[in-house]
Amino acid sequence: MLSPDLINEARIGRGLEISSKKRLLETLAELLAKDHPRLSTENVFERLLERERLGSTGLGHGVALPHARIKEVSQVLGAFVQTTRGVDYDAADDEPVDLAFALLVPETATEEHLQLLAYLASRFSEPATRARLREATSPTAILDLLKAT
Amino acid sequence: MDLTNQIILVVSLVLFASILASVVTSRFGVPLLLVFLFIGMLLGEEGPGGIQFDDVQVAHLFGSLALAIILFDGGLVTPFRNFRVGLKPAVGLATVGVLITTGITGLFAAWWLDLHWMEGLLLGAIVGSTDAAAVFSLLRSQGLELKQRVGATLEIESGSNDPMAIFLTIVLMELIISGSNDVGLVLLLEFVRQMGLGALFGILGGLGLVRLINRLEMSPGLYPLAVMAGGLCIFGITSVLQGSGFLAIYLAGLVVGNRPLQSSQYIKRFHDGIARLSQIGMFLMLGLLVTPSELLPVALNALIFAAVLTLIARPIAVWLCLLPFRFPWREQVFVGWVGLRGAVPIILALFPLLAGMDQASMYFNIVFFVVLVSLLIQGWTVAYSARRLGLEVPPTSHQVQRVELDIPGQRELELVGYRLAKDTPVVVERRDMFRLPRSARVVAVLRGKHLVDTLDLADLKPDDYLYLIADPADLAELDRLFVASAAPERLSDQVFFGEFVLNGEARVGDLAAAYALDLPASDHPLTLDAFIRLHLHTAHPVVGDRLQLKTVDLVVRKIEGDRILKVGLKLKRGG
Repeated sequence: MLSPDLINEARIGRGLEISSKKRLLETLAELLAKDHPRLSTENVFERLLERERLGSTGLGHGVALPHARIKEVSQVLGAFVQTTRGVDYDAADDEPVDLAFALLVPETATEEHLQLLAYLASRFSEPATRARLREATSPTAILDLLKAT
Repeated sequence: MDLTNQIILVVSLVLFASILASVVTSRFGVPLLLVFLFIGMLLGEEGPGGIQFDDVQVAHLFGSLALAIILFDGGLVTPFRNFRVGLKPAVGLATVGVLITTGITGLFAAWWLDLHWMEGLLLGAIVGSTDAAAVFSLLRSQGLELKQRVGATLEIESGSNDPMAIFLTIVLMELIISGSNDVGLVLLLEFVRQMGLGALFGILGGLGLVRLINRLEMSPGLYPLAVMAGGLCIFGITSVLQGSGFLAIYLAGLVVGNRPLQSSQYIKRFHDGIARLSQIGMFLMLGLLVTPSELLPVALNALIFAAVLTLIARPIAVWLCLLPFRFPWREQVFVGWVGLRGAVPIILALFPLLAGMDQASMYFNIVFFVVLVSLLIQGWTVAYSARRLGLEVPPTSHQVQRVELDIPGQRELELVGYRLAKDTPVVVERRDMFRLPRSARVVAVLRGKHLVDTLDLADLKPDDYLYLIADPADLAELDRLFVASAAPERLSDQVFFGEFVLNGEARVGDLAAAYALDLPASDHPLTLDAFIRLHLHTAHPVVGDRLQLKTVDLVVRKIEGDRILKVGLKLKRGG
C-alpha cells in the first residue's frame, strides 16, 4: 500500500533523544524538508503545528500520525521517527508517544490523503506492529516493517 | 413443626434455583424475569409443584412491597447527571405518553372486546407502564452500554411512569364502581393530590432520611436496613394520606442515592440484592397465582391487544412525546420498541380482582398474557435491536473489584483491584512509559500469594493482582491500562470514534481546510461544538452522537455538561 516514493531510509530517524512534542514535530519537519527542493523545515513545521491545533494527532498506544496538506509537494511524502523515551503528545489516551509517522500530501489529493491516513492508523492499531517498530534497531529494519503489508 | 421445616426447605430450594438460573440465562440473553415467571407456573396448581395459591390479597401486599423496593433501588442507582438528557423526555413519556398509550389501547380494547369504554380504558391503564429495569439488567449482563440519551430516558421513564399507571388504574376503577360520569374534574383533582403529595413527601422524606442517616452512629450493617425502613415509611405515609407512594419512594431513592451519604456503598449493594430478591419473589408469586389453562381462551385476544400496544400505541405515544426533543429517528424507534411490560401491569391487574369487579379475571388473564408476550419478544430482541440501530457506545466501566473508602471529611477515594490477564495492555506492551493518573497510587501487587516488594508498573505479570487507590474520576483511565478490552471490534475506540481526536473548540473552517471538506462558508466560523449541535438539532449532545459528512464522520467523544469537549474524526474508507 505504501508507494516506494513515500518514504525512504533517509527520512527515518531511529532511537532519537527527543524531549518535547515541539522537538518531535521539528525533527519530522527536518526529515521531510531535507531533500526536497521546495520545502523548508519552518514551513512544514508550521503546517504540522497548525493541524495539531485542531486536536492532537496522537492515535493512542504511543503512536502519533501528524499530517498536513501542503501545496509545495506534488506527491505524498512521509517521514518516521522512533524515540528512546516517550514524548508528552497530548494524545487521547495521555500515553507518551515514541513512534511518529508524519505525512505531507499535495493540496489536490484529498481522497488519497484520507485513505492513506486511515490505512496507516489501522496499521498502527495492531499491537504486534507497534512492538516490532519499537524493537527495530536500524532505519532499514523500520523501513521494511513499514513497507510490509 | 415438620411442615415449617418443609416450607423452609422448599422456599430456599426454589430461591436458590432461581438465583442459579440467572447465571445461566444471562449467557443466553433470555429475559430472566420470564424464567422466574415460568418457575412459578411450574410450581403452581397446574404444574408439577401443585401448589394452590390464589390469595389475591396476599399477592397484592407482597407485590406492592416488592414494587416499592424495586423503585427505591431504581432511584438509588440513577445518577443526577442522567437528568441532563433524560429528564424532560422521560417526564413527557411518563405522563402524556402513558395517557396516549392508555387511550389508544383502551379504546381499541373497548371496541374489540365489546366493553364499556371506561372498562376498556381501565385495561389500557393497567398495561400503561413500562419496565425498563428488566431491559437494563439484560443489556448490562451482556456488557452492552447504550447511548446516554436513550438509556437515561428509558430508565427515568420506567421509574416514573408506574405512579401514573397506578393512578389511572385506581381512578378509573373508582369511577366505574361509583358509576360517576364526571371524569374530567375527578381525574384532575385526584392527579394533583396523588402526584403532589408523592413528589412533596418523596423529596422532603429523602432529604430528611439522608440527614438522619448521616447523624446516626451505629454498626455498619444497620445503615442499609435503616435506609430501607425509612424508604418504606415514606411510601407508607404517602399512601395512607392518599398520595402516590410509588412516586414518593422513587423520588426518595433518587435523593438518597445522589446525596453524600455515609456507607453509601454498603447501602447500594444491599439494595441491589434486596431489589433482585423482590423481583424473583414477585415473579415467582405471580407465576404461582395465574392458572395457565385459563390463559388459553384469551390468548388470541391478548395477542391482538399486545400487537396494538407495541406496534401502534407505544410508537405513536413515543413519537408524539419526543417530538419537541428531536431525537434521532433510530433512538425514537428504539425507545418505541423497548416499551417492555413487567410486573407492574400484573400487580395492577390484581386491583380489579380485589375490588371484585365483574370482568376482573378476564383482565388479569389478558394482562398476564400481554406481559408474557412482551417479555418474550421485546426482552429477547432488545440487545439485537440496540446493535442494529447503532445505539451502543464503547463501554466505559468494567467490572472490577472496587471498594469506596469512607474517610470522613476527605474527598472520595476508591480502592480498586485488578487481576491482570495475558492480554491486559500493561502486560502486553511492557513499556516503561505507562503513567498512572495523578490521583492514583499503587497500594500492593500480589503475585501468587505473596506481596511483591517493588511497585514498578513495568514489572507486572499476568495473574498478578494489582491494588490501587484512586479518585473515582480516574477509574476509566485505570481501566484502560489494566483491563483487557472485552469490547467487540466494532466498539473499539478507533472503529467507533475514528482515528483522530479533535478539540470541541476547534474551528470548522480550519477542519475543512485541513481535510478539504466541502462545507458551506457560513459554518466556517463556528466551533465544532456549535457546528455539531446545530446540525444534530440538539442542545444536549451525548457521547456517540454522529454527524455524517461526505468523507468523514464527526463523533461526539467527550462532553462536559452540554458542551462537546472532544470530537472523534472518523475517516470513511473505500471512498
